[in-house]
Amino acid sequence: MTLTRDPAPAGQQAPDGLVGKALRGPADRSPLGLVAVPLLALLGALVVGGVLMAVEGVAPLSAYGEVVRGVFGRTRGLVDTAVIATPLVLLALGITVAYRARVFTIGAEGQYIAGALAGTAWATVGPLPGLPAPVLVVSSLAVAVLAGAAWSGVTAWLQSRFGASVVITSLLLNYVAAAVLAWAVRVGMRDPGSFTPQSRQVGDAALPDLPGTAIHLGFLFALLAVPTVAAVLRRTRFGFRVEVLGANPDVLAATEARPSRTRLWVLAVAGALAGLAGFVEVAGVTGRMTQAFAVGYGFTAIIVALLGRLRPLGVLAAALVMAGITVGFDEAERVFVIPSATVGVIQALIVVFFVTGDALSRRRLRRREGA
Amino acid sequence: MDTLFTLATLAAAVRLAIPVAVAALGEVVTERSGVLNLGLEGTMLFGALAGYLATLATGSPWIGLGAGLGAGAGCGALLALLMVVVRADQIVTGLAFTLFAGSATTYLFELSYTIGQPPPRIESLSMVPLVVIVLVVLVAVWFLLTRTSAGLVLSAAGEAPAAADALGYRVARVRAAATVAGSALAGLAGAMLVCGPLGLFVQNVTAGRGWVALALVVFARWRPGRAVAGALLFGLCDAAQLRLQGTATQIPYEVFLALPYVVTLLALMVRARRSGTPAALAVPFVRGPAR
Repeated sequence: MTLTRDPAPAGQQAPDGLVGKALRGPADRSPLGLVAVPLLALLGALVVGGVLMAVEGVAPLSAYGEVVRGVFGRTRGLVDTAVIATPLVLLALGITVAYRARVFTIGAEGQYIAGALAGTAWATVGPLPGLPAPVLVVSSLAVAVLAGAAWSGVTAWLQSRFGASVVITSLLLNYVAAAVLAWAVRVGMRDPGSFTPQSRQVGDAALPDLPGTAIHLGFLFALLAVPTVAAVLRRTRFGFRVEVLGANPDVLAATEARPSRTRLWVLAVAGALAGLAGFVEVAGVTGRMTQAFAVGYGFTAIIVALLGRLRPLGVLAAALVMAGITVGFDEAERVFVIPSATVGVIQALIVVFFVTGDALSRRRLRRREGA
Repeated sequence: MDTLFTLATLAAAVRLAIPVAVAALGEVVTERSGVLNLGLEGTMLFGALAGYLATLATGSPWIGLGAGLGAGAGCGALLALLMVVVRADQIVTGLAFTLFAGSATTYLFELSYTIGQPPPRIESLSMVPLVVIVLVVLVAVWFLLTRTSAGLVLSAAGEAPAAADALGYRVARVRAAATVAGSALAGLAGAMLVCGPLGLFVQNVTAGRGWVALALVVFARWRPGRAVAGALLFGLCDAAQLRLQGTATQIPYEVFLALPYVVTLLALMVRARRSGTPAALAVPFVRGPAR
């Protein structure tokens, strides 16, 4: 057995290899500790949001009552929550896999666009017109998954071949993807019959609704992806390698797997899930690609993954909460005069409080352990 | 192409490059000390809003620039507290801060004027003083990093924090100071954006320029002069893109939209191995015996 070293010298890997120390260090692993910080962050953000609304002259409790009614008081609220949570869950699961391996990609947004574009291109101007609907759906999804994985794989290649930081390259590729999106809807796969730049409708590739609901099939994909990713992380060799890579890349190198190879797979899986999320959003919600397709779900999903404590079930819960807050405030804004940015402030505060609380709780643990 | 590179395009390129250049110079200082500040975009936004509101209140864009500088330093103090003192993860903290800034500045901006009326324009500075500021900041950052012992200590904190610590320098303090200074410049950059020819604040006015500045720092291999050159290149691409949008040409304008990022990616491929990345970039420093 030979000790294969990664091509890049250790120093240059620092941005990706060592960043996560604070993220994964001595953490409170008890169930209470896992849930307490995110919940306190949520509570704190809601309190600050309430204070803001009170300053604005809106009674916070009745406003929050309207938020809750907006989600649970009507079928539409639950449907919208599930629909908004769908891409967040898929994207955040991919980020979960990557961050557990301490591969800090922030390229989910670009991979999401890449998957959506490739899937839409296959479905609308693809080489095989006239496929039966189920075949078209499955093949478009497959194309989207491959495109997302390939887009993400570029960052892995840039790191293993040139030692370029994944953080930076994944970020840069988001902008390239945005430019490709702009070109694709304006020229590349534009609907010739449309005045505004947009693609054709995906038509038969559209996802059907789940029986008896107005929720598209993608939500089921998201729900199924949660136990799947959990099982892969817990039970497979790949999942084991992810954990070892996250704990100590040298140990992985000393066993049988090359860290750079595992990193490539990790990024490919993250990209595949992001690509899937992208086309699911097209086929389930928007129906076609437009300039306004990218709304930043790829960045919100990073938050969802962190709030979910990089655990699949936690990711699902965090995505539903984030989506629910969005939907509920949408409804509350119809009743009360609340600045539309309030919900964004509250969601952002959840993250700020979570990051602070998490770091503080680790610090307290370190102190207690006398490290 | 003869219509592309007119004097007007070049002037637009400089105008678009100015805020990016100043933010990138600030981030060079921060990253050389070993702190990766992904909150740059958010800091620019806060600086832009502070600059706008201060100019609106006082009528002087110079006071606006000062307010942007101050707001940036305030953001830097908060970020330094989280990233250096509490040692929260730098990537996560920066991302969270930028997300927060996007919503918070929109919220504060909406409070600052009555809905229904257009937000008032502000007194704005011409290009000349702005260019002078860029040059002054460039020389100051270059001088600090290459000609002073403070600059050496700063680089030591980013390259070999343990060695700097052994020599008696307080790594945490150096990094906190570098974060505050870099963020102050980012805030100034945001203020220069709104107090310059734009003369207006709109929601998400920075539109990703902080992220561009972050990429430019890598492109520039952490050198101040190259950061400004990179900003000019970005400005040129941006101006070309804006110009091509209005004309019918063979070249899709999206090429220029992607060009700055593609060039940066290519630059990373050519010599990433000897890229000059500070060895301890984004690695929290824990004082004490080696573990």
